[in-house]
Amino acid sequence: MSLTPSLNKLSWVGLLAVFAVTGCSNNDSSFVYSERTTSLMPEAQDGIPGEADDAPGVLGVKQLLDDRFGNPQNLKAWLKLPVDFGGTQASVSEIVTENDQFKVKLAVEEGVALPEAPKALEFITGECIGETIAVSGWDAETGEAVLASAPTKQPMAGDLCALDGGGVLRSGRVLYMRHCSHCHGASGDGHGPTAEYLNPRPRDYRHGVFKFTSTNDMSKVSRDDLARVLRYGIPGTYMPSFLLLTDDELHAIVEYVRFLSLRGEYERKLVNELAGDYSAKAAQSRVADGENRTEIVAELREFLAADLPDTATELGDELAEQWSVANTPEALIIPSVARVPDSPESRRRGRELYLSKTLNCADCHGVDGAGNGPQTIAFEKNPITNEMYNEPGLHDVWDNLNQPRNLQTGIYRGGRRPIDLFGRIHAGIKGSRMPSFKNTPHEEIWHIVNYVLSIPFESEPGATGVAAPVSAPVAAAVAP
Amino acid sequence: MATVSPAIGTHGHADDHSHGHHEQSFLSKYVFSTDHKVIGIQFLVTTMLMLMVGGALALAVRWQLAFPWGSMPIVGSLFGLFQNEGGQISPEFYTMLFTMHASVMIFLVIIPILAGAFGNFLIPLQIGADDMAFPILNMLSYWFMWPAMFCFAFSFVAGGATAGPGNGWTSYPLLSDLAQASPSSGNAQTWWLFGLTLVGVSSMMGSVNYMTTIINMRAPGMTLFRMPLTIWSMFITAILQSFALPVLTAAGFMLVFDRLSSLLPTDIHSVFFIPAGIVVNNAAPTVGGGQPLLWQHLFWFYSHPAVYIMLLPAMGMVSDMLACMCRKPVFGYKPMVYSMAAIAGLGFIVWGHHMFTSGMNPALGMTFMTSTMMIALPSAIKVFNWIGTIWDGNIKFNAVFLNCAAFVSLFVVGGLSGIFMAAVPVDIYFHDTYFIVAHFHYVLFGATLFGVFAAIQFWYPKMFGREMNDGVQKLHFALTFIGMNGTFFPMHLLGIAGMPRRYADPYLHGYLEHLLPMNQFMTISAIIMGFAQFLLLGNFAYSFFFGKKVGRNPWGANGLEWSAPSPPGHGNFDEPPVCYRGPYEYSSPEAEAMGQDFILQTSPPPAGFKKSSGHVH
Amino acid sequence: MKKFWALFFIFWPVVALYVCWIAPSRGWWFPSKPMSSLGHQIDGLFYLILFIVALTFIATQAVMGYALWRGATKKSTEKAMFSHGSHKLEIIWTIVPSFILVFISLTQLEVLANIRVISKFPDEARRAPIAEVMARQFEWRIRYPKPGTTLATEAQSGDLYYVNELHVPVSQPVMVNLRTQDVQHAFFSPKLRVKQDAVPGLIIPIWFEVEKAGEYELVCAELCGWGHYKMKARIVAGSEASVQKYMTDLEAAQNEDGVADAPAETEE
Repeated sequence: MSLTPSLNKLSWVGLLAVFAVTGCSNNDSSFVYSERTTSLMPEAQDGIPGEADDAPGVLGVKQLLDDRFGNPQNLKAWLKLPVDFGGTQASVSEIVTENDQFKVKLAVEEGVALPEAPKALEFITGECIGETIAVSGWDAETGEAVLASAPTKQPMAGDLCALDGGGVLRSGRVLYMRHCSHCHGASGDGHGPTAEYLNPRPRDYRHGVFKFTSTNDMSKVSRDDLARVLRYGIPGTYMPSFLLLTDDELHAIVEYVRFLSLRGEYERKLVNELAGDYSAKAAQSRVADGENRTEIVAELREFLAADLPDTATELGDELAEQWSVANTPEALIIPSVARVPDSPESRRRGRELYLSKTLNCADCHGVDGAGNGPQTIAFEKNPITNEMYNEPGLHDVWDNLNQPRNLQTGIYRGGRRPIDLFGRIHAGIKGSRMPSFKNTPHEEIWHIVNYVLSIPFESEPGATGVAAPVSAPVAAAVAP
Repeated sequence: MATVSPAIGTHGHADDHSHGHHEQSFLSKYVFSTDHKVIGIQFLVTTMLMLMVGGALALAVRWQLAFPWGSMPIVGSLFGLFQNEGGQISPEFYTMLFTMHASVMIFLVIIPILAGAFGNFLIPLQIGADDMAFPILNMLSYWFMWPAMFCFAFSFVAGGATAGPGNGWTSYPLLSDLAQASPSSGNAQTWWLFGLTLVGVSSMMGSVNYMTTIINMRAPGMTLFRMPLTIWSMFITAILQSFALPVLTAAGFMLVFDRLSSLLPTDIHSVFFIPAGIVVNNAAPTVGGGQPLLWQHLFWFYSHPAVYIMLLPAMGMVSDMLACMCRKPVFGYKPMVYSMAAIAGLGFIVWGHHMFTSGMNPALGMTFMTSTMMIALPSAIKVFNWIGTIWDGNIKFNAVFLNCAAFVSLFVVGGLSGIFMAAVPVDIYFHDTYFIVAHFHYVLFGATLFGVFAAIQFWYPKMFGREMNDGVQKLHFALTFIGMNGTFFPMHLLGIAGMPRRYADPYLHGYLEHLLPMNQFMTISAIIMGFAQFLLLGNFAYSFFFGKKVGRNPWGANGLEWSAPSPPGHGNFDEPPVCYRGPYEYSSPEAEAMGQDFILQTSPPPAGFKKSSGHVH
Repeated sequence: MKKFWALFFIFWPVVALYVCWIAPSRGWWFPSKPMSSLGHQIDGLFYLILFIVALTFIATQAVMGYALWRGATKKSTEKAMFSHGSHKLEIIWTIVPSFILVFISLTQLEVLANIRVISKFPDEARRAPIAEVMARQFEWRIRYPKPGTTLATEAQSGDLYYVNELHVPVSQPVMVNLRTQDVQHAFFSPKLRVKQDAVPGLIIPIWFEVEKAGEYELVCAELCGWGHYKMKARIVAGSEASVQKYMTDLEAAQNEDGVADAPAETEE
């Protein structure tokens, strides 16, 4: 009978053991660091603690990144980041302390409306930067907010603050985790759990490059482009259409994607500053060449303390500029002539241009547009590392095999409107080997567009009546 | 301590056993035993453990539906699978959860527990045989379960950490056919198919054994219409299994051959189910010529009889148990037999009711609808007969009876909801919604599983010589009943509301958003129900060591098994039994003449007793 | 204690019935009344079966509950009734349910034919399918014929394309050709009570008539992979004029060449 109590106890211990091994789940998602970051010297990644007065502690790349962008539970905002965080930006015009109540009077820019019932106020410049305080009373007429508690430091008139700041970004994050993260990854690295099974792979935002844009070849993607992809999907891939999301939801997701992309690009550029001399490999070879590791670390410390902060600021400004400009009309591709009407003559002209030596579309897209040009079976070098890729064919900037489109299917990933095709030809497809043909006269581009749109309906391939030049070798058909 | 030790000296027969009385090794006595009782218990313990595995998968499904994209307990942090996402599972992981929940429950729990555990244990005992016709085949049928379980287990990780089999237990092509069609369609699907084939082999071995044993090895006097309904049900089930299963096995092979290029380094493969020109995941277009619908016909040709395989044995056992607990004969024994036969027979011609929206010829819709409606009839007859059995009985309200009463009561719900789905126009709305899920859980859980709970307790004394604690079983019953209804009854309403099955996030759709609180209620009920099963397991394990020892016939039942020792020794009976009457002569005048309300089938008629004529059968 | 259990089995069907009774008022019922002509027929059959099934449920559970109550209140000295059954009862409860079941079957046939048999589709719908709905992983790609032409099996130059939104005219029978680009899907519109599987290699026509202008959910009802739940789309039913206008706008948008009155190009 004495076995009874221990038998029962056994089952409890068993249960506990299960929980201990697996742990109660941690609710927090997290951003990952890119491979290039994690291949830096550990000191470059994690920073170097302070040792003496002339050897101050310095932050590493990871810390810099976390400071600027935070983690998914706690996203960070900086003023210059061209992302709509949500909420209303205001400046402090007056501070009143009476009867133990801390009140601030706020002013907004012209055209901006004061919110009806803000819940929190966050200081984004000045002494109190980063402090978020609940709003216990609010007068929408005068713009006077009663803060639930006094800030720890003293704010001044002219300080900028945000009412309910971050709302858009937070809701963007929630929506992103629900709809997007399992493919695109919680950090936008294109490496969510589902990603490895998809062909083509989901976009890794961290290069700051997006393929299907309406902006010219030097510009970044615009908000409209991202919204367009979300709304209509990318046919022929696993990026579905999210047409039924509301405009607010779309906006929030677009902003969050921009946030992730900016974070990724910022990380990339920061690491670029360090990778040459301070990657783990570089450090190793420097030590092998006879340098002292401690000296390298000291050099790194100086760099991180003195040079990097300024560089980081410059990088941030540069990025902000690029991303903001992309949304302006200046960045848009606008043909100088309206589309040439579709006609057999135009298509024939288009085919001539397609097969011409100057444009050489057939080299990649094949003589009949089947995506089987000679480039698809040639070996190419990675332009950054200068190493040959293992498999033949063309690759994109994400190092994925990315063969030229089979134009016979009638599936147009970037959209099937004439302007979309015009944009593909004029600006190329960023990140892929489709180059920009911006120097080609617009009228000629329209002829090519007309030809390309007619390819799926040709009674037989190449039936547009212009024969391929005999010298162009015909490659074996390759699946799209 | 209860064992199945050979009761030396109580052997009634010594000549037809080649191994005689030599001491068997532990391995051949308890592990690779050919004794049907040991095999039955092996099946029982294995399937009860698999029940918990299947249940855990179901709880994960329910968690996702209650807290969509929340951090999933245990799974979310297991092996760092979803670390970056904070424990949020991926959509393909969800498809794995419901696929493996169904696969485990159907192939590794319900079918083996009914046929493998109870069929094995009871058939020789109830017909008065000393063992099955093919003891070695019987042993193999158990041991084939292990490679099958290994294949299913391996399939969880074969295709990638989060890409277990996820194409539904129905595994429709082209999703399951083309490796590129989903993360689960690669190696995971292949291993799943191997597991399926192996359980099929196991089942087939069993059914051949059962049919032969029942036909050939009945005790003298045990005519067909003196067999307990348990045996009838096992017999009919074995026939169903042997005729239907080969079709599934063939279909499984066809699917494996379609998928050959993902299994072997070859481009050659069949295209039974693959039409031409399909491009999935930007792979090369298919070269096909096949028909996806063919799989559905072949699959459901087996799987519809399969659902009766998963029901009939429980029906038979419940009849036995109800008669015993109500101390009266089964009402309408022959109609009960004929109904089971009708269910089985009709069961072969209704498979198309799973395919009403599939795009098959509408004329088939009409024929299948008619036959499906008709199959409700024998089921209804059985329900009425069970109620008739209970009527005016001297009822023992123990947990065995409660579980059997629940069987009847809940089977009514499952059967009636089937009528909606038999009607094609109505099924057009309900197909692939939660209404279907409600229906089959009521028949599989509400009916079969409660029947199994009753059977475990009822035959436990015979298996182990001890009884289970009735109080704990009653508590288990109450919690399970309440939890089960709390979980599955609202599913009827969810189906009417148009909530589709197999959705990881139904609340994405505006018209379903308001159903979240109900789903949370269902999840809580499911958790209660899930944890209540530990009561059963605990009671089972505890009683094995510390349960009150009982004699041969603690329930005062009539079957041949209750004349054997508890547990029966090698050879089962003290001497070869002779059967003198039917199995349900409770409270008969003959029994009264012996001063009891039961009379064993093996008891010779009391002296001087003359049987009255003209009983209604 | 015995009475407790008898009451337990009497109580639970009462709770179930109560839940079903209050269900419609709490939104645990059809998402709306049927919005299509076929939908009314389907609902009618549903309610007929519901009525019969409810009666059967109540009757069966009541009799069983009563049997349990009798058993619970029986004196322990009373013995059980010794009966092997009743031939008469068996006949009654075989014949009566048979009739009911056959009756239910017969009531379904007409509606089944209306929905499924192509020769019974309304002529105007059959002659001019309004769109090809191509399901794919994980969205609905719609192809309308070039305005002024009939929908062809193969894509034609000038066909109009959209995704996840199907426009149909209200109050007239329309037919769509359902196809799939990859694996099986199913076209399910709950409020319209329409459902049909999309099978690879087959083109399956579906017809329906929407009674009231508005937007109706379209979801997928056949497991098609991880994104099965994500295939959220809508059917927009409007007047003939509004549909024409939609097609005109769609055609214009599809021919957008970026050189319009304004540089912005995201108007749809």
